[in-house]
Amino acid sequence: MHKYITAIVLGLVSTLVTAQEIEQKIYQKTTDDFMPAICKVNYAMEIRNNQSGEMTRRNATAIGLIVSESGIVMTHGHMHLDNRKPLSIKIKIGSGDDEKEYEAVALKKPDDVNIFFLQIESDDEDEKFPYLTFKADETSKIGEPLLSVGLLGPALDYEPGIQAHRIGAIIDDPRLTYCLDRPISFGYIGGPAINQAGDIVGVLGFELTSAEGGDIYTRSGQPMMFQTDLFKKYIDTPPSKESLNGDSDDAWLGVFTQPLTEDFAEYWDLPNEGGVIVSTVIAGSPAQRSGLKSGDVIMSFNERRVTAKQPQDINAFTKMVRESPLEEPLPLKLYREGKPVDIALTLTKRPKAGKDANEFEDKIFGITARELTTDVRIGLNLADDVEGVIIRAVKSGSPAAVGRLRPNFIVMQFGGHEVKNLEDFQAAVDAVSKEKPEEITVFCRVGANTAFFRMQPRWND
Amino acid sequence: MSTGGATQNRVIKAKDKVAPALVHVSPVKEVFRRGQRREVSVTGSGFIISADGYVVTNEHVAGENDYVRCVLFNKEEVEAEVVGTDPYTDIAVLKLKLDEGHADLPFVDLGTSFDLVAGETVMAMGSPHGLSRSVSLGIVSVTDRNLESMGSTGAPYNNWIQTDAAINPGNSGGPLVNVKGEVIGINTRKLSGADNVGFAIPIDIARGVVDQIIATGHVARSTIGIAFQEMTRLTDDPTVDGVLIGDVDPLMPAYKAGIRPGDVLLTIGGTSTNARFTEDLPPIRKLVADLPIGNEVILKVRRRDQTAEVPIMTVAKSESRGEQTEFSEWGFTVSELTDATIRRAQLRSGEGVMVSGTRQGELAAFADIRAGDIILSLDKDPVSNLEDFGVKYKQRVSSGQKLTLVTIKRGALTMYRIVKNEKNETEE
Repeated sequence: MHKYITAIVLGLVSTLVTAQEIEQKIYQKTTDDFMPAICKVNYAMEIRNNQSGEMTRRNATAIGLIVSESGIVMTHGHMHLDNRKPLSIKIKIGSGDDEKEYEAVALKKPDDVNIFFLQIESDDEDEKFPYLTFKADETSKIGEPLLSVGLLGPALDYEPGIQAHRIGAIIDDPRLTYCLDRPISFGYIGGPAINQAGDIVGVLGFELTSAEGGDIYTRSGQPMMFQTDLFKKYIDTPPSKESLNGDSDDAWLGVFTQPLTEDFAEYWDLPNEGGVIVSTVIAGSPAQRSGLKSGDVIMSFNERRVTAKQPQDINAFTKMVRESPLEEPLPLKLYREGKPVDIALTLTKRPKAGKDANEFEDKIFGITARELTTDVRIGLNLADDVEGVIIRAVKSGSPAAVGRLRPNFIVMQFGGHEVKNLEDFQAAVDAVSKEKPEEITVFCRVGANTAFFRMQPRWND
Repeated sequence: MSTGGATQNRVIKAKDKVAPALVHVSPVKEVFRRGQRREVSVTGSGFIISADGYVVTNEHVAGENDYVRCVLFNKEEVEAEVVGTDPYTDIAVLKLKLDEGHADLPFVDLGTSFDLVAGETVMAMGSPHGLSRSVSLGIVSVTDRNLESMGSTGAPYNNWIQTDAAINPGNSGGPLVNVKGEVIGINTRKLSGADNVGFAIPIDIARGVVDQIIATGHVARSTIGIAFQEMTRLTDDPTVDGVLIGDVDPLMPAYKAGIRPGDVLLTIGGTSTNARFTEDLPPIRKLVADLPIGNEVILKVRRRDQTAEVPIMTVAKSESRGEQTEFSEWGFTVSELTDATIRRAQLRSGEGVMVSGTRQGELAAFADIRAGDIILSLDKDPVSNLEDFGVKYKQRVSSGQKLTLVTIKRGALTMYRIVKNEKNETEE
């Protein structure tokens, strides 16, 4: 009897010891297996003040995850935002005497996730880099412990550190975003999350995936873990490096939508099984060409059920659309005026977003202008027939600033030249620069109205 | 300010002439805020312009539908009705409700403002911060101040008399008086954060507005849908005449007649329209506004090197603010669309109403209907204006309908909202 009790007590003790051992083992595995493929990304950041057009530079450091043998590095998307661009990117791998430094180039920023990819440029073209493999399809549970790797602050020379977290909440499905139980510091954004089995199952951040529409990031301030599946397609097929401002390869439907909530289902007498209400159809979009109408309720898309009942469920639909094949008819089932209707719909490439739009900075008048993109047109509620370029920045003290031109005005005429696009604007600036007139009239759309502005450049300066 | 004895005597004489006609105005105003109609009491100034008790004040002191209590210079309290208001010029006319057999009231002499000169001595009279019967002395600083370049859009038809005579909240609606004891302006606003920079509506502008309000209860104005800009937007060359057309409203007659931004208007109805500077714009706007509504007028317009005469039919200009109504069951206030709101929302027609406010915790707010949304239809039945909305809304509320589909426009987007009447659900 006495022996028996002892055995039970020993059993309990050994369980506790085992739990500790597993945890320590993962710390060790993280250090041994993952650290060599985790690097420091040093870069200069060029930040533009859109009011004054002034550029400032700042040095910055971020954590980078090498995700392929050829040296593709994944880091957080804050490096490349609408008004900031990374310059002279350097990558440091290893530490102490073994530390090696490489140049790196930026690849095109993905549209639907707030991450950024870099390509290491090694002198040795055949150099093989240590890299991380992400575990796919791994779901986490509430309360599950995780380790994460990040960079400590500047005082500690950005050395990598390990932190322990737990999953605090599960946000949505199938985007699979998890809330962490405690704050993370900036150096951990973009860092890997490692589960109890020692697999990398996610990446840390505040806003690593985009919300509905692809342009608005969630700004909850809550630290999150984003499941690795979200980034898989970019790791398998890294973005090109030809241009930072290319077209997206994602498919585009061109609608704004709402979930078919219980109330809407009841109102329209539809089954309460979810669906997507088309609220706005964007002019010139595939949706409009295929005859989709405001008020239609999409029940299935390319033979997959659409079951959105809550706002966050729309993300699944958005993802489904983005990843659909281009240029081939897809079947759609919908309710129109309460009756089932089948239509076929052909998707096109997603049009360029404002942040990817081409820009032209004129050095004479002080205007930085950008081509008009679909998202900007919608944001400013521009009529379909409005053509021009949008002013992004006006340099302080410049002829444009003195002439009261301001950011967000749409330039439609410049010095008597029609401006329908960025090329027109560039040509107009060139022509006017050669003519050197004393007065230049600029015709703009300001909000819903139009107005004229006059610039008087100091040609002699 | 030091004044010699002779000047001082003139000032006192002028003050004594106007003072008996001063009115301390305390209306209980109707305001719509956060989806609710409320009443607030304010104080301002005014002055009597006729023996039978017409009083002029600011529209921002006494708006429509107000209960107005007035205190006369002899401290007699009299109730007044609002005869009419004109938000475009910020003028309101009241009529004192005098008992039968009441003695004739003292009233002011209206002077002229076109012949004012900067430097002229003036007095502001009224109730600054509610302190009635106050007088402050100063000079005319500028006779034709235009505040549009400072971002002010409230007064399209007038420039302002700028004065350094102290003007404070509560002076609003009171008279600006010259040394002859004539009213030459209505004290209306001040530059906040600045000292001694006050503004008065020139009496020449006010006179026509007041006369129209007394005759008809409101001010009728014409429009053709053009926004003017000063010619210096195009060129500094003083020999170039006309006024620049900066904007043409696509739903308005000028657009339909082929007028486009960039055209230069030379004459309208035979009267020449020259505006080199922003100060020159209000008289031209007034010229258009004073045209008879629904009549043809000839515009002489220059486009590049060619001039053309274009006939255009004027239409009535909408109120500057749409009428508002509270709909308490849904917890929101709705306003009539105006030309300006239609343009701002880029609507293709003038049909619909605008949500002006919502109360948190009430049905409209629950349905995510927000201030600024344009309501296009209820249950897909189009809503044409406030009256029409009221009828369709009442049908739904009184029938106890549980769910109402509201189609709204928010910016460029169309959205659907369901207003769910929970009360009826629990009653069932």
